[in-house]
Amino acid sequence: MCRSHIELCVCLCVCACAIAISMAQPAYTVASDSENTGEERSSAFTEIAIGIDIGTSQCSVAYWNGSEVELLKNTRNQKIMQSYVSFRDEVPTGGVSSQLAHDHEVLSGATIFNMKRLIGRVDTDPVVHATKSLPFLVQTLDIGVRPFVAALVNNAWRSTTPEEVLAIFLVELRVMAEAQLKRPIRNVVLTIPVSFSRFQLSRIERACAMAGLHVLRLMPEPTAVALLYAQQQQHTIHDNMGSGNEKVALIFNMGAGYCDVAISATAGGVSQIKALSGSAIGGEDLLQNLMRHLLPEYDTIFSGHGLDAIKSMSSLRIETQNAIHVLSTQTNVNIDVDLGNGGRVTRLLNRKEFEDVNKMIFDQCESLVRQCLHDAKVEIEDLTDVILVGGCSSIPKLRDLVKSICRREKVYEGMNPLEAAVCGAALEGAVASGISDPFGNLDLLTIQATPLSIGIQSNGNSFVPIIMRNTTVPARKDLVFTTVHDNQTEALIVVYEGDETKIQKNHLLGYFKITGIPPLPKGIPEINVCLDIDASNVLRVLAGIVIPGNQQLVAPIMEVRMPSIDDGHGWCAEALNRAYGSTLDLITVQKKTQT
Amino acid sequence: MMQTLSFPGIPATTPLNRRFRCRAAVQSLSPATLNSSSLYEVLRVNRNASPLEIKAAYRSLAKLYHPDSAAASSSSSSSSSDGCDFIQIHNAYETLSDPSARALYDLSLGFGIGIGIGIGMTEANHNSNSPFSTPFRWETDQCW
Repeated sequence: MCRSHIELCVCLCVCACAIAISMAQPAYTVASDSENTGEERSSAFTEIAIGIDIGTSQCSVAYWNGSEVELLKNTRNQKIMQSYVSFRDEVPTGGVSSQLAHDHEVLSGATIFNMKRLIGRVDTDPVVHATKSLPFLVQTLDIGVRPFVAALVNNAWRSTTPEEVLAIFLVELRVMAEAQLKRPIRNVVLTIPVSFSRFQLSRIERACAMAGLHVLRLMPEPTAVALLYAQQQQHTIHDNMGSGNEKVALIFNMGAGYCDVAISATAGGVSQIKALSGSAIGGEDLLQNLMRHLLPEYDTIFSGHGLDAIKSMSSLRIETQNAIHVLSTQTNVNIDVDLGNGGRVTRLLNRKEFEDVNKMIFDQCESLVRQCLHDAKVEIEDLTDVILVGGCSSIPKLRDLVKSICRREKVYEGMNPLEAAVCGAALEGAVASGISDPFGNLDLLTIQATPLSIGIQSNGNSFVPIIMRNTTVPARKDLVFTTVHDNQTEALIVVYEGDETKIQKNHLLGYFKITGIPPLPKGIPEINVCLDIDASNVLRVLAGIVIPGNQQLVAPIMEVRMPSIDDGHGWCAEALNRAYGSTLDLITVQKKTQT
Repeated sequence: MMQTLSFPGIPATTPLNRRFRCRAAVQSLSPATLNSSSLYEVLRVNRNASPLEIKAAYRSLAKLYHPDSAAASSSSSSSSSDGCDFIQIHNAYETLSDPSARALYDLSLGFGIGIGIGIGMTEANHNSNSPFSTPFRWETDQCW
């Protein structure tokens, strides 16, 4: 009897995102009940959530084994696995179990990777457009809907979705974990990029639900690293709550798809996230920029996704990737790649060239670090440690850049840059599952902060933030608005997330209408809009009407869980504008001062 | 005096089913969460506590009252696993850890106005638009 199937059926998720589409499930087998031994049975009494770090290009799984964090290995004894799903065979297989002979097969068009760059993004997003030069097909119609994604199977483009690909991959991870831990796995803590919008988070949760997993926490990657750091510091010094030994760490995390920065203040196992910053820049951009530098006609050759073009691009990609790795330790690298059809790139590439080609990326990294320092109101001298993690952390330019901003010679060396995030996620999994450790190893707490501001459209076409970025969560803030027309009886609340002044550049989270405002001159009725984020990071928008001088509520409060939008939301803002114009607008009454 | 709308605190749930809770009676006011009289009392420190003491107090209280912490989730007391309490603690810390905000707050205490705290106790939190509106009114309004 397969326990995981039963688990799926009793999936209680009421959230819209969790309407689980059990997909490709029967193709996978999991450890059966009979394989469970007595001990595991008892230890499974409190299910400990496992930590999963799904990176743009690599992924890993870790769990709390009762005394420490342990990384799981796949059947090929790898702790770090490639994040991809191949559609080459009848049953799609992911990088956890499949053994593709070499990188060329990953790049044959039959394999989809970089899902994390696609999930929850609409086809007008520049990040999606950057993905179009990968071997598989990403088609954009540029109208604000989910991009069309397809894999090449027997000379046909077979369509799928980023969520589906991620779910297939998660199922493989789950099967691997269940086989090794000999217990059903349901609860997980996933690490996510700082810059993910709440809509993207809801897509990640959906993919998890499709894989029969319940997301206990979604943790921004650098905050997972901060948790690991907090645990390590607690180990080294058995300090009490005394803040004399508070440690402030700057965590710089850059992988293939995203760059994140966090500043945490840690003492006595409590780490407070003081600021977060992040952007969708990563090794993938470094790689693509270098490929275009080596082969200027890259986009022309590849635009048609022809079979020959895919082959030559995959050769170039592999060679360029190797070159970047070599340039981490050497200053020069010889590039010699046969593109087929007589095309060939042969040259000597030096590190300076690589750095110049990617100057913009490095500049962006620098501004993320500076912004984070600024937001955290932390002086460089106050930093105890500078931690560099992620696949790109070995790039000399990035190391120098972070070291020079933070004015120090050395970076923290106490953690494996590729495993830090997943270890932190596993720690959070144990802590959030309520596990306690007799030696105090889990006496930890991360006080999270919101990476992006959340607010509503008001004062014409402006974004009025209600919860500012880097606000400690759980959080609850409100702001009072009023009507802009006489006898206005309805108002539209359109909720956005982001920090751009142009409202369209922020992420739409949802919208609803408040009705039943008593007909009064403009500026009299007060519409109180309250945003509530609980410890599980669930956002609720509450709105109610107050008439000055009247104790009674004139209409029931509206309470809306966000994000409430679905795919294709790129349309929504425009459609609302077309349908209502400014007839249902609001303006702010008073701006609450931030303490 | 004008009043503002109050939203009740969201009831506490255990960590595992937090996401699935359903809530009714959203209109009911819950003044019960307001039981502290000053920010110093919220943090359980003296009026003359040093910044280090305030920070330490905040940390120890966070460990007790943050919904994520093991202490809060294992405790059966509903008040300790309710995020509202932690918000109150954090807001007190925000004010008291900022020297200028703390000075202003101390000043207000000195005048005996209590920046809405006293008012919040007696008038069921309808003090958002009170003439005493200052950043500090958050400390009471957060947790209706």
